[in-house]
Amino acid sequence: MSGHLHEILARGLLQAGAVLLAAPLAEGVMRKITAVLQSRQGPPVIQPYYDLLKLMGKEDLECGESPWMQRLAGWLALVAPLSVAALWPGIGGQGPAAGDAILLVYLLTLGGVATLLAGLAAGSTYSLLGISREMMTMMVLEPLLAIALLVAACHADSLQLADLFGGAIYGRSGHSGSGLLMLGVLVFAFQAMVSRRPFDMTEAESEIMEGPLMEYSGPKLALLQWARMARLVVSSALMVALFWPGGAQLGFPWAALVFAAKTAAVILAVTVIAATHVRYRVDQAIRYFGGMLLAGLAALGLACFGF
Amino acid sequence: MKPSEILTPIKQRYGTAIQRIDRLDDRRLVLHVDAGALKSICRFLFRDLDARYIAGIGADDRPYSGRFMVAHNFAFDRDGLLASVLAMLPADAPEVDSIAGEVPAASWSEREFHDLVGIVPRNHPNPKRLVLPDGWPDRVHPLRKERPWNDRPDGYDEDRPFAFDPAPPGCVVVPLGPFHPTLDEPAHFRLYVDGEIVRGCEYRGFMVHRGIEKLAESVLTYNDIPMAAERICGICGCVHNVAYAQAVEQAASIPVPPRAEYIRTIMLEIERLHSHLLWVGLAGHILGYDTLFMHCFRIREPVMWIAEKISGNRKTYALCLIGGVRWDITPELHDELDQVLNRLEAQWRPLVSALLEDRNLRRRAAGIGVADRALIKEQGLIGPVARAAGIDIDCRRDHPYAAYDRVDFDVILAQDPDVWGRISVRAREVFESIRIIRQCLVKLPAGLLQAPIADELPIGRIGMSSVEAPRGESHHWLITGENHRPRRWRVRAPTYQNLQGIPAMIRDQRLADMTITLGSIDPCFSCTDRLETVDVRTGAVRVCPPEELRDRLRQRWNEPTTP
Repeated sequence: MSGHLHEILARGLLQAGAVLLAAPLAEGVMRKITAVLQSRQGPPVIQPYYDLLKLMGKEDLECGESPWMQRLAGWLALVAPLSVAALWPGIGGQGPAAGDAILLVYLLTLGGVATLLAGLAAGSTYSLLGISREMMTMMVLEPLLAIALLVAACHADSLQLADLFGGAIYGRSGHSGSGLLMLGVLVFAFQAMVSRRPFDMTEAESEIMEGPLMEYSGPKLALLQWARMARLVVSSALMVALFWPGGAQLGFPWAALVFAAKTAAVILAVTVIAATHVRYRVDQAIRYFGGMLLAGLAALGLACFGF
Repeated sequence: MKPSEILTPIKQRYGTAIQRIDRLDDRRLVLHVDAGALKSICRFLFRDLDARYIAGIGADDRPYSGRFMVAHNFAFDRDGLLASVLAMLPADAPEVDSIAGEVPAASWSEREFHDLVGIVPRNHPNPKRLVLPDGWPDRVHPLRKERPWNDRPDGYDEDRPFAFDPAPPGCVVVPLGPFHPTLDEPAHFRLYVDGEIVRGCEYRGFMVHRGIEKLAESVLTYNDIPMAAERICGICGCVHNVAYAQAVEQAASIPVPPRAEYIRTIMLEIERLHSHLLWVGLAGHILGYDTLFMHCFRIREPVMWIAEKISGNRKTYALCLIGGVRWDITPELHDELDQVLNRLEAQWRPLVSALLEDRNLRRRAAGIGVADRALIKEQGLIGPVARAAGIDIDCRRDHPYAAYDRVDFDVILAQDPDVWGRISVRAREVFESIRIIRQCLVKLPAGLLQAPIADELPIGRIGMSSVEAPRGESHHWLITGENHRPRRWRVRAPTYQNLQGIPAMIRDQRLADMTITLGSIDPCFSCTDRLETVDVRTGAVRVCPPEELRDRLRQRWNEPTTP
């Protein structure tokens, strides 16, 4: 058992570290692609590393309502996606795993909770406006994620992550109706899960001046930005793990490379959509999510009856 | 209708209350009336004759006539007529009945002449200060002739905060500005928000007055003022430059050579091009569509380059002097401008057709910031805001100036009185501007750039000029005076009227729509903030206390510069 635990810990640290290091690169690539779409030259792809370094080196100003909560919110925001990465049961789900779907939903929700805390702790009018939008979004969006995992659980007949990942949502036996429906739902809701345009109204710079982030600067801002980048990578990987199986049998290192390539493809899609859409208003977004949620529930119903 | 046809019912109705009627020319009218009848006559013009309200003017005329002067300007857009209704007030009791109750569009103008000239509008519905800060002493009115241009009166408490109206019950106050990422200039909107819904707002602006009108009537001379006038605005500067020059030319009956008129038209349209291209981009940015912003700016850049080739500057062209222009369109520039227009049209056309078919954008912009016909009439809203609602007004056609009566163009209209309609109108107006410039280039006559002016300009004449800025009508009104400068020069920029419609346009809509609604009038706060005294309020730097910074700046201001 202790050997098993060692393996889980080592793998977890490795995976969390990989996400932490790769996240700014993904952001850099996003910026570069956006720049190309906007007929600009754009910054070098490693610019986000410089940005984070610069912020880390700045003075840690304390200006909000509750400084200790602000620091907590920053760390919490970053730790949540990293924990998901650490619990990842290997590419294709064949490795030993320590968590189940319930824990995963909690951890993913924690990211949103961290944003709420950050806004509350800052306490300015615009931060509060931002978190009221975040809260509205979360209430509709988080169940969607839980539903997706439950659909997978129905097919896999298990809540263990190791059983769910590796394309479980299609069912081990071919393409199920509920799986396809759920894929459609998540594809349409994915921009919102990573809070990118057109669903970035929580932080809308030109409306509410970055909302919850408004009062943050220096190292705390670096934490929150890094968390946002990490969340994008982890969520994209989650999409791949649930819906895009294949390549796991190739063995090290090819399986990992194929997985990374698929994740990068998801991030590319996010970038292109973000660069070509107008930001939605929160009421428009909620109406949109409402439809998604209904479709998601339908998929869950189908999955329960084995379709 | 000819001026005479408009005058007949006024004369019949008010008879002896009308002291004198000056017909400056076929398209300009000045009615001198009794102060007691001013309100009634203004109501008659606004309601019964359906004139559009332009601006109110207060002036200190005591050195010349021993009295104060108040005027309200109206436009008869269908008849191509501008009318000024003017009354004199006694020097010891400068009071006049407020017309803002009857003509809501006059509200700001009356508050402004109350602040600056000290003419009291009796029974004004909202008699708060508009231009002067709350700490400014009572009974000190900067535009009175006895106050020097660099006046800093005793008892001025610079640090006194604005006194705001109480918020309605159940609403949270959300301060928007003075500094906000989408406000490019300082202005303060105190929004009363209920959840995400805006229930009302109070506006305080005029934070960066530069005293340009006061400078014009005390320091500058006729040919300096065009250069000061174009610094009223960083985007539509040429409009103010031309409008001022035309007002003087009209007052002094100076004929402008045709070539100069064509060049003025070309530069005004170049300005409209870059302003509209900038605005469509900014609207995209406000709505979170930065890709649109970037492409607009890429397409816009060659327009700036050709402007720089013609005038030496990307902006602030220093184009007009009284009676002419300073820059010529050489044959080489002629060809290059033609190429720039061809490229611009080729790039803008696909972008506009994609833009107007973007369903997401339409869903986001339609139905917000609504200014219906009633609001437009009441508040005197102008430019693309009016045209988007289907109101067919455009000074270029209605009150033609420069060479606009010799070119062919369409006035672009829409039937959506919302942000979407304004996007559509501005995006399509670009093609008309291209068309106008092309015609001007073909028709450009040879000849002088500048009319010879042999004599001093006559004194005490009134001039009026309306120029269609990218944002709407810019109106200049002046009286010529002694010492080579006007006695009084009043500028009414388009944002001055359009901003007054904002509280009604944002009421009961979401906070998320506030910035794009404000953006949709293409606000230009510097245009609005053009008046009075140097206000060196620079308190943003923490290491140096604001008072110290202010004192230092003031020291530098007062010291003669050492070579």
